[in-house]
Amino acid sequence: MKNSFARIAALTKRGLKEILRDPISLIFMLALPLVMEITFYLIFHEMTSQFDMKYLAPGIVVFSQAFLTLFTGLLIALDRSTSFLTRLYVTGTKSYHFIFGYTFSVLPICFVQAVLFFAVGAVIDPSIISVALIPAILLSVVTSLLFIGFGILFGSVCNEKSIGGVSSIIITGQSVLSAMWFPTEGMSGTIMTIMNVLPFKNATNLIQNMIIGVSDAFKDVVLPLIIVLAYTIAVFTAAILIFGKKMKDN
Amino acid sequence: MYAIKTVALTKKYKDLTAVNALDLTVKDGEFFSLLGVNGAGKTTTVKMLSTLTRPTSGDAFVYDRSIITEPDEVKKLIDISMQETAIARNLTAAENIAFYCELNGLKKDETQKMKEYLYDKFGLNAVADKKAAKLSGGWQRKLSIALALISEPKLLFLDEPTLGLDVIARRELWGLLRALKGKITVVLTTHYMEEAEALSDKIGVMCDGRLLFCGTKEQMYERTGKSDVENAFISIVETYKTKGGL
Repeated sequence: MKNSFARIAALTKRGLKEILRDPISLIFMLALPLVMEITFYLIFHEMTSQFDMKYLAPGIVVFSQAFLTLFTGLLIALDRSTSFLTRLYVTGTKSYHFIFGYTFSVLPICFVQAVLFFAVGAVIDPSIISVALIPAILLSVVTSLLFIGFGILFGSVCNEKSIGGVSSIIITGQSVLSAMWFPTEGMSGTIMTIMNVLPFKNATNLIQNMIIGVSDAFKDVVLPLIIVLAYTIAVFTAAILIFGKKMKDN
Repeated sequence: MYAIKTVALTKKYKDLTAVNALDLTVKDGEFFSLLGVNGAGKTTTVKMLSTLTRPTSGDAFVYDRSIITEPDEVKKLIDISMQETAIARNLTAAENIAFYCELNGLKKDETQKMKEYLYDKFGLNAVADKKAAKLSGGWQRKLSIALALISEPKLLFLDEPTLGLDVIARRELWGLLRALKGKITVVLTTHYMEEAEALSDKIGVMCDGRLLFCGTKEQMYERTGKSDVENAFISIVETYKTKGGL
C-alpha cells in the first residue's frame, strides 16, 4: 500500500509538471478563458443579463475545464506512443496507479482555474463575492472529474494526432450545449431535452446556481449534481476498463 | 544459475505463430543478443519474458520465477529500455532520475546517491538540467538506459538501444553497455550485427518465430564457416529459408 501511494505521488507530480511546462496548455486552460471572461463581460454584459459576472464567471470555470480533456488525453496519448506507460508497467506500476496519477495531476489545475476566474470576476464585479464562492469552487473540482475522465478515455484510444480532434467534441459540447453563450428561451423542446440530459448544461448550472443562489435545492443542486456524477462515473468506468485493456494490449 | 529458461514458449496471434516452441537458456550475468530479421519474433519474445504479453503455451522462468504464475515477482527482477526512449519529455534529466527513484521507493538520500552514481557512470551531469525532449538522440538513449538501472534489476532488456543513433553515439553507448557485462544479465535485441559481435557473450538467431541458433560467436563462425557475425547470421537464415524450415 505504501508503495502504491509512493507510485501515485510520483506519477501525480510528474504529470503536473509535464502539463504545466507545456505553454500551449497554459494558454488554453488559463489565458484563453481569462481573455474570454474579460472580453465577453465588457462587450455583452450591458446588452444581456446572461453575461453578468454571476453567470459568466461560473460558466467560464466549467468551460475552461473542457480543455482538461484535451491536455489529459494528450499526456496519455504521448505516454502510450513513446512506450513510457509500457516501461513503467514492466516495473510493477498498475493501471490504477496511472489512473489516480493522471487524475490527481490535473486536479490542482482545475482548482487554480476556479480560483482565478472567480477572483478576476470578483475584481470586475465585486457583487459576486460571498461565502457561496467556497462551495462553488469545491463543486467545480467535482465537475472537473467529468472532463478528466473524458481525457483518460480519449487518451487511451487516440494517438497524439487524433486526440485534438476527438477532444474538440467535448470542448464544442461544453461551449454549445451548456447554454452559457446564448439565451435558451425559444429553443425547441428537443434541443432543450438534449441539453438537460447531457452533463454540460447541468455542470454549468450547478456552479452558476451556487453563485446566484439556490431556491430549490433538488432542482438547482441535487439533480444537476446527480446527472454530472452519473456521467462522471460512467466515463471513468469506461476509461478504467479501456485504459487497462490498452495497457495489456501494448 | 539461469537468468532465463524458456520451455516450449509459444505465442500465436490468430493464424500467425510469432514465437514457436522456443527453448532458450541465458545464464546469470551473461550478455545475450537476440538477432533476427523483421518479424522474426524477437520483440514478442522480449514482451513475453518481460511479462507484457502472455504466452499462448509453454512457459519461461526468470531466475526460477514463472512469467505466467509469478509475473509480479518477475517484475521485481527486471527492467527494460524500449526501442522508443520512454522518458518523461518535459522533465529534466535530473527530474527523470528523481521520478524513477521515487517510483521505485528510494528515499531522498538514496536518490541523491543514485543520481551521483548515474551522473558518474553515464556522464549525465552535463545535461542534468536540460529537458529530456531537448536532448540529442544519444543522450536520450543514455538517460533511458540509466533509468532502467535505478530499480537495480538482475535482468535488463534492451530493445534496439542504438536504433537511429550516429556511429559516434552508438560507440559511446557500447562502452556503457560493455560496463554492465558480468554485473547484470542483459538481453539485447538489435539489427546491428557489429553491435552483437562487439558486446555479446552469447547470440541467438531467430527466424519465423524459431530459434535457429544459440551459442557464442565462435560457435557461430564454426557452424557457418564465416568470420563475422553479419555473414554468419545471413548464412544461418538463408540456409533455413532454402531448406524451407528446420
